[in-house]
Amino acid sequence: MSSTTRQTLVMLRANLLGLPHRLAISVSMALSVALVVAVLTGFLAMAKGFEQALKGAGSPGVAVILGGGTNQETGSEISPDAIRAIEAMRDDLGVVRDAAGNLVSSREIVVPVDLRLAGDGTGRTLALRGMDTSGPSLRDGVRLSAGRLFRQGSREIVVGDRLAGEFPGFRVGDKVRLGVIDWTVAGHFSTGGSAFESEIWADLDAVRTGFDRQGQVQSLRLRLDSPTSIAPLKGALSAVTGTPLLAIAEADLYAAQSGRTADLIRLFGWPIALLMSVGATAGALNTMMSSVSDRTVEIATVRTLGFGRLAAFAATLAEALLLSLVGAAIGIATSWAAFNGWQASTIGANNAHMAFQLSVTADVMATAGLLGLAIGAIGGALPAFAAARLPLTAALRARR
Amino acid sequence: MTENLNHQPYIDLKGIRKGYRIGKESIPIFSGLDLTIARSDFVAVMGPSGSGKSTLLNMLAGIDSPDGGQLRIGSNRLDQMGESARSSWRAHNMGIVFQFYNLLPMLTAAENVELPLLLKPLSARQRRVRVEAVLDLVGLAGRGRQYPALMSGGQQQRVGIARAIVADPALLLCDEPTGDLDRTSADEVLAMLAFLNRDLGKTIVMVTHDPHAARQARRTLHLDKGQFSEQRSAA
Ligand SMILES: Nc1ncnc2c1ncn2[C@@H]1O[C@H](COP(=O)(O)OP(=O)(O)OP(=O)(O)O)[C@@H](O)[C@H]1O
Ligand SMILES: [Mg+2]
Repeated sequence: MSSTTRQTLVMLRANLLGLPHRLAISVSMALSVALVVAVLTGFLAMAKGFEQALKGAGSPGVAVILGGGTNQETGSEISPDAIRAIEAMRDDLGVVRDAAGNLVSSREIVVPVDLRLAGDGTGRTLALRGMDTSGPSLRDGVRLSAGRLFRQGSREIVVGDRLAGEFPGFRVGDKVRLGVIDWTVAGHFSTGGSAFESEIWADLDAVRTGFDRQGQVQSLRLRLDSPTSIAPLKGALSAVTGTPLLAIAEADLYAAQSGRTADLIRLFGWPIALLMSVGATAGALNTMMSSVSDRTVEIATVRTLGFGRLAAFAATLAEALLLSLVGAAIGIATSWAAFNGWQASTIGANNAHMAFQLSVTADVMATAGLLGLAIGAIGGALPAFAAARLPLTAALRARR
Repeated sequence: MTENLNHQPYIDLKGIRKGYRIGKESIPIFSGLDLTIARSDFVAVMGPSGSGKSTLLNMLAGIDSPDGGQLRIGSNRLDQMGESARSSWRAHNMGIVFQFYNLLPMLTAAENVELPLLLKPLSARQRRVRVEAVLDLVGLAGRGRQYPALMSGGQQQRVGIARAIVADPALLLCDEPTGDLDRTSADEVLAMLAFLNRDLGKTIVMVTHDPHAARQARRTLHLDKGQFSEQRSAA
């Protein structure tokens, strides 16, 4: 161990043993760091959870065709002519066909529906997706967790597990009024926690009839032969006249949406956390200045004995870093306990309610923790510098 | 009696100038101070309050530097050294005893005494042996684990002396070491300094207000208006 390290350690030890004399101000420093770290952890966990929910939703092996020049389902429209044209294509499009050579596809439409909650008059906007019977099979990782799928042409719905868990009126066999029609809950499905679990699925024609959308199709889903083979499909679509058509991998569709929203959450969270950091840094500066001023005679004494400036600097900075480390640990621990797995909801895809879980991951904790340490480092630097530059004779006279 | 044998005084101050600036005004304390001290001498410095005794001692300790003139101790020109060189010079050549002991309250007596040894390439075991030896020397054997706050003033000052000599420096500087002690404790401390000078050959410079304390020294210097007048003790 080098001499400077030994000097630093013994000074740090004396600092820490002296902490009880500066308890209130030291605790307040740690707690303000904890608060900043907890707030940032909360926002980052929200963004992360949102990303995870939507990331799971999209499969790279499924192509979504959109029409009308938009790159999301909302506002997309594919005309019956275009659908006929696509179905008539006999070239190799790189997509899965059935034994008869017909495309395995699902025409889909998403309708926002208001669910009246029992008791109070409030409502929630949910996404009701009408689809062909092949629709569920065109999603990866779908599993029926209760009951059965909807029957073609019938007024039956299957409800995502997350919605079913959130609203008591979605038990299998229950009747639910959506729009002007009563629907029967035929089953529940799970998609491993992804955004689809916030949707309600039903037969395409039943939805179109129930909401007066006859003949409308927003998107067409196809299964790709392989995730890399979307190019032939794109090429074939450009030959279709009439409305402009776009083919996009389902994964990309949701990634684009999750990216926007997650960025928005971060864009909101970071400035708040940074603004609070400014206050916490000022607090840290104040705490450490008072620590140095309490230890003026001690520092001057050991410096007179021959201790180096570097040791005085390092011991003070180390005290600041330790206090902020304790604060960061408290902040991470409490936000993990409070937020991790917490249900949150937001307006997700298709302007409908989407539920997801806050996710306090390792990189969320590391990022927030580093901000906490930065507060200690920045707040401690100036006092550490003051400790190193302490004028010895004046400090020793101060005792008298 | 200690005319130095190698014609080279241990401490040599030539034409030392030193002043303090208060606002725009510079108040001179020394303007051309000369002083030589032989190796193994024991010098008491007396003088009225504000005459510059502590300022002189601080310059000898290497924690204050003269504005002009030469300050040599042994083979080192302290006036020409930078802060880090003086810091390392202090660690290896000088021990200091303060009027108010300046012990670190959070550390035990032994840990306080150990501080200067942390600057030396010694193992923890070697340090412990040295600390125990000096605590024994100052009459505090077995008190190493005690905290300063639980000790009397005289005991605390003996811890201070132990800390000053543990690294075996040639020079011992004391600024009113008995200023805060009762007569009995003061006598113990003075006897200890006399022993360190006589039996261990330490060069000692001691600032004091107390003529009784000054009588323990071999030489007494009176500092007034920035100059010395000397008077030799009978001791
Ligand atoms: N850091 C400083 N800033 C301004 N003036 C100082 C400073 N240190 C000492 N002085 C002044 O220099 C003069 C000498 O001070 P010094 O402490 O050396 O005196 P002293 O002889 O030790 O006095 P005392 O017997 O009271 O301890 C005093 O007038 C003092 O006010
Ligand atoms: Mg003085």
